[in-house]
Amino acid sequence: MKMPPRRRPGIVVPTASMGDIAFLLTVFFMVCSNFAKEAGIKWTEPRAPQLRVIKQSNISVSIDAEGQIYLQGQPIPDADSVESGVAALLQRRGDSDERLVMFKCDQAVDKEVFEPVIAAIARAGGVMVAVGEEHKAP
Amino acid sequence: MAWKRERRKRDTVVPTDSLSDVAFLLIIFFILTTSIQRLTGFQAEIPSAERAEQSQQAEKMPSIGLRGGGMTWNDQPVDADLLRAKLADLRLPSRPESERVIVVEASGKVPYQQYFEVLSAISGAGGVVGILSEERGGSSK
Repeated sequence: MKMPPRRRPGIVVPTASMGDIAFLLTVFFMVCSNFAKEAGIKWTEPRAPQLRVIKQSNISVSIDAEGQIYLQGQPIPDADSVESGVAALLQRRGDSDERLVMFKCDQAVDKEVFEPVIAAIARAGGVMVAVGEEHKAP
Repeated sequence: MAWKRERRKRDTVVPTDSLSDVAFLLIIFFILTTSIQRLTGFQAEIPSAERAEQSQQAEKMPSIGLRGGGMTWNDQPVDADLLRAKLADLRLPSRPESERVIVVEASGKVPYQQYFEVLSAISGAGGVVGILSEERGGSSK
């Protein structure tokens, strides 16, 4: 007697939810990412021992090697503009954790440039978070 | 004669076949552009005060002077290690906030590197930084 041929069940990988998974991953990356605003600013980090890992803030003030001041990655003319700009960004932020202002400054910049900027951040009500590189003793 | 126009309804289908491809391309973009950074530094709350107010209070507080590459502690020359030791001796965390202020006064050419070291030492010892800035053009700040 001749046996009927065996039917192999078709193997199908379920891909219906692939798009959903991919979009969930995309949303995860978008929420977790913090876009660098100062990507084009050239500065050399100052160094000091015993630095800690700091809380990042989305308000940033930077000074590059040429002494140019930046607020949120955009060049601004002077320290007075830092005060008004930071004060505007800090509006409706009560807690000191929400008033953090990242301050990045080239190590060679003179105090005539950076001191008024630090004072302006203080006058605007910000808590300065100075960024630098930890220098470990040999 | 009643002439009835027969309307044909077309099925509208949004093509979603390439949706997962687009989403995965976005993921690859985010993976490539994301850099996980752990920034180091210090947090310093700097009280803002008028020059006259600063000068009155500054007389009672320990002060660090930065002049031409060197530094002083209450007008006595010190190096970075001695400065940290002096700050540790003050046991600042156990004091009320008004007694934790350390005045920093810079004069002449002072690079940010030197300033950063001093500010990080004060912050690390639990102090509050008080900046005594020079008057410029009759300004009071």
